[in-house]
Amino acid sequence: MELNNLKFIWQNIDGANKSEIELKRMTKVINHPTLKKIRIKMLIETISLSFFLFIYYDWFDGSNKPFYINVLLVSSLSLYILNDIIGYISTIRPIRGVSLKISIEKYYIRIKYLAVSSLIISFLYGLTIILYFSSVINFNKENYFILIGIIIILLFMTYLSYRIWNKWIESLKLHVKSFISDEAS
Amino acid sequence: MEKEFLKTIMDNQKIIYKVCRMYRDSKEDQQDLYQEIVYQLWKSFSSFKNESKVSSWIYRIALNTSLAIYRKSKPNIEYYDEFPEQIHPSGEVIVSENEDLLFAALRFLNDFEKAIISLYLEDFNYQEIAEITGLTENNVGVRMNRIKNKLKNILN
Repeated sequence: MELNNLKFIWQNIDGANKSEIELKRMTKVINHPTLKKIRIKMLIETISLSFFLFIYYDWFDGSNKPFYINVLLVSSLSLYILNDIIGYISTIRPIRGVSLKISIEKYYIRIKYLAVSSLIISFLYGLTIILYFSSVINFNKENYFILIGIIIILLFMTYLSYRIWNKWIESLKLHVKSFISDEAS
Repeated sequence: MEKEFLKTIMDNQKIIYKVCRMYRDSKEDQQDLYQEIVYQLWKSFSSFKNESKVSSWIYRIALNTSLAIYRKSKPNIEYYDEFPEQIHPSGEVIVSENEDLLFAALRFLNDFEKAIISLYLEDFNYQEIAEITGLTENNVGVRMNRIKNKLKNILN
């Protein structure tokens, strides 16, 4: 098969026949395959964490905990909510550039920063929750085992999250490299 | 604006179909990517001021989306030692054998090469390909020669 034949085949492909109604549906976040889930997750987390911030002091003995623990808890939860919102905004618009090269480079940098901030903030958030509920407790042997178990789970979850981010970053890095190697030739 | 957008997409939707089919293997993944591309086109429609051809704009957004978004699962790729003489379509839509052979050949290229060859096959010249990809015309030429040789080897 010659390359000119490929052009002819490519230009005469006619496989898609979406209706105007179908296309209109696709412009809404509510029908989007992934953004819908990300938005629901963000809304649930934002509402539930805001609610927790509102009631924790009375319901979970905030007054009996050291001041710095209260500050840490409020800060880490607020940061988590903020990062959630920034993350959503960042992923909703991957295209910000006049060309493929600029756009992919910008997106790669944005996702790299987002990955670092998400991992650090999520870890801090988990750690602060553990710190809050374990402070002002007289630890015995069993308590220590439970605490170590929870910290191991937190580390494992952070590692899993790192792997997912890393997979995405590596794929974007590969695209960025493709542009650079092409320029070098 | 919505009506104008829908008309533009209706008239050019085969570009989106071709890009989805080139970058994703399963029908489900192609459908998800299709939806993602339409959504991104809609989001950037207000900034499209007819400064470039509609097809250039659609290709730029479609290729960009295909390269950038996170792939949930591993692509369902069938590996062949040699290029298959015949591919049997498994979907409901009846597609020509040549079309299947073309997409099977494109699977041997990396994502970046796919972007360039799709623009070439659509009949964009090197200057237009350079503008869409952000490379220089010279770089496009060099890369195109490599892709052409690669495709010749695959197809012969």
